[in-house]
Amino acid sequence: MRTHRPLAAAVAGLAIIGVAGLAGCSGSDASSDGPVQLEYWAWASNSQDVVDQWNKENPDIQVKYTDAGGGTDSSAKLLTANRAGNAPDVALVEYTTLPAMIVADVPTDITEYVGDVEDAFTEGTWAQTTFGGVVYGIPQDVGPMANVYRADRFEELGVTPPTTWAEFRTAAEAVKAADPATVIAALPPAEFGFWAGVSTQAGGQWWSSEGDEWTVGIADEPSLEVADFFQALVEDGLVSTDPLLTPEYNAALNNGTMLSWPSAVWAPSVIENVAADTSGGWAMAPLPQWTEGDAAVPYQGGSALVVTTSSDHPEEAAKFAKWLNASEAGNELMINTQSLYPAAIVGQEMTERNDPPALMPQQTDFYAVAAEISADTIPVTWGPNVNLARTVFADELQKAIDNGTPWRDAFIATQKAVIDDMVKSGFTVTND
Amino acid sequence: MTTASPRRAAKPAASSKPRRAKSNRLAPYFFTTPAIVLYIVFTVIPVAYAIWLSLRAYRVTGGALGRKQDVFVWFENYLAVLQDETFLAGFGRLLIYGVIAIPLTLGLALLFALLLDAPAVRAKRFSRTAIFIPYAVPGVVAALLWGFMYLPSTSPFSYLTKAAGLGSIPFLEESGIFGSLANIAIWGGVGFNMIIIYTSLRGIPADIYESARLDGANELQIAWRIKIPLVAPALVLTGFFSLIGTIQLYSEPATLRPMTSTISAGWVPLMAIYRDAFGTDNLPQAAAASTLLAVGTVLVSALVLRLVNRRRNGMES
Repeated sequence: MRTHRPLAAAVAGLAIIGVAGLAGCSGSDASSDGPVQLEYWAWASNSQDVVDQWNKENPDIQVKYTDAGGGTDSSAKLLTANRAGNAPDVALVEYTTLPAMIVADVPTDITEYVGDVEDAFTEGTWAQTTFGGVVYGIPQDVGPMANVYRADRFEELGVTPPTTWAEFRTAAEAVKAADPATVIAALPPAEFGFWAGVSTQAGGQWWSSEGDEWTVGIADEPSLEVADFFQALVEDGLVSTDPLLTPEYNAALNNGTMLSWPSAVWAPSVIENVAADTSGGWAMAPLPQWTEGDAAVPYQGGSALVVTTSSDHPEEAAKFAKWLNASEAGNELMINTQSLYPAAIVGQEMTERNDPPALMPQQTDFYAVAAEISADTIPVTWGPNVNLARTVFADELQKAIDNGTPWRDAFIATQKAVIDDMVKSGFTVTND
Repeated sequence: MTTASPRRAAKPAASSKPRRAKSNRLAPYFFTTPAIVLYIVFTVIPVAYAIWLSLRAYRVTGGALGRKQDVFVWFENYLAVLQDETFLAGFGRLLIYGVIAIPLTLGLALLFALLLDAPAVRAKRFSRTAIFIPYAVPGVVAALLWGFMYLPSTSPFSYLTKAAGLGSIPFLEESGIFGSLANIAIWGGVGFNMIIIYTSLRGIPADIYESARLDGANELQIAWRIKIPLVAPALVLTGFFSLIGTIQLYSEPATLRPMTSTISAGWVPLMAIYRDAFGTDNLPQAAAASTLLAVGTVLVSALVLRLVNRRRNGMES
């Protein structure tokens, strides 16, 4: 038995670390006959309160909420967790990353569970989560593009708020002439959603698919014209390209030298968080238009709930998601405790009875305007590699700004990188 | 291990039983197994997994929204990494950063260590602690702290220059970013390197100084001709740590990134790896880049060590 002694000594040594290691583990498998346990990942504020409400009303389906931290962080975590086979049952996913999630096999087909709530959404909204006739998610909130601006400062400077982009330029010039320290807006390269949005508004189609084939249009003619337009604005010193929501930016919001944020209807609550003292001076208007009279804009931002392929209870998970996003009770919570702009028609109608956001208490028609914008949105198809496009675009456009090279080149370089990546990944891309 | 220690040899052999001798032979297994197992579980297996991952790729099959399959692609990811301009440009930035940060960190650390070791200096304990304290500040906190001192609206330095009518200092712009980042590293790193050099200085026997003084050497000459040559191994060690630290630069630029548009998503190699792994869902390419970075670090380290050794050997002979 002599040869076993080293082994025994080794095992004894291991036992010491073994005890320490095991202390960290504990079995947590739910018993089969108890209530169904669902894991839920999201990031919207006060989600826990909403989940508590559900748990109180549904003793058979108990939901455990985890704050997965923002759209970008959350999608990285979701991909990793899904590969490891321990993704949550229900997760919030941004519309922009939903195709990437589908390709990575994260959301499961929930068509059979959600037929009854399709009518709760407009066709355009429902299309954000339906691909090739298969429903992968239930829309939660949407961000109809809008312009949030300092009505008081515009008036003080004697400048009319713009309704078209041509007027935006004139207004930017007037602002600069009236007060050189003030700028109409900051439009940094990192705001991918904004650039994609205004390009779509101008008629661009950054991704589109037909049958099995993709077409990438980040450098299509309308988008390149958008690039030219904003390049001229920046080169003439009329808009800033510094990043948003830095201490610098927030200081400018507070001291009234940053006049507007062309973005979406969710902007007021963001500004309210960093510049509450300026409440009452702000107003919200539709986004400036490229062609006068053409009010249609796309969404910037917004997300949907998906049921993951690793869920053992897809039906219950879909039921929870439907309650959150399509029911009257869920929408009421979404509006009142989470300050989201709901995707469901019933929710949008409900908001019209609400007070306007705290940033603009005087604008009583805020939600009426929001609903009006939302009623006429341009459907957008997002590609399977939006995150790659986002980082390449930000880097290329920043380079163009720093080096004084044409912005179109940045759009063209982004398109090339996006196509290369898609082809390498195995997609068929037809671009002429 | 061939020579027994005097204490053990002095013990009467008769008092130790044969059984005890046998268990002594087993002791090494008992004590080393945990370390070996932990090493295998937390180093060997992850490294092997990263290498395996770097040879794979996610490829889509089945139409416009087909599903990603995990396939074997040999060295395709390595080729992609070597052609990735962002990744390669990161090394250029590291070079500029390193050229500023390493000599200044080591130079200041050596200077402070020599000053603390000089006989006439007072308040040594206080100075030593004061210089060391920044090292105890976590990198992310240090970067945030300095970030606010760099931002034009909150910077006390820019406040002064603005008051003097000179405008704000471009800490976070193209022209100043390398100096600003290096400053954070120097601020945090001098104390740690100083302690290593200082400890090495304390290990020099005092009689060498005494004989030098008898020969008429002043403190400056002692520092230059005796102390610095004798702490050369400590300098090599700290230089080495600084070099590896430079290659692994990540948290400072990543923390400053939201404050400035100068720092792009893949500004330094580790940021590019992070972007690939968690931004664009290209874990295999991130694994390939990591492997290349690790191999490169080992090669650079070996090369530097060799050069240093050759020079030292040359000096001795």
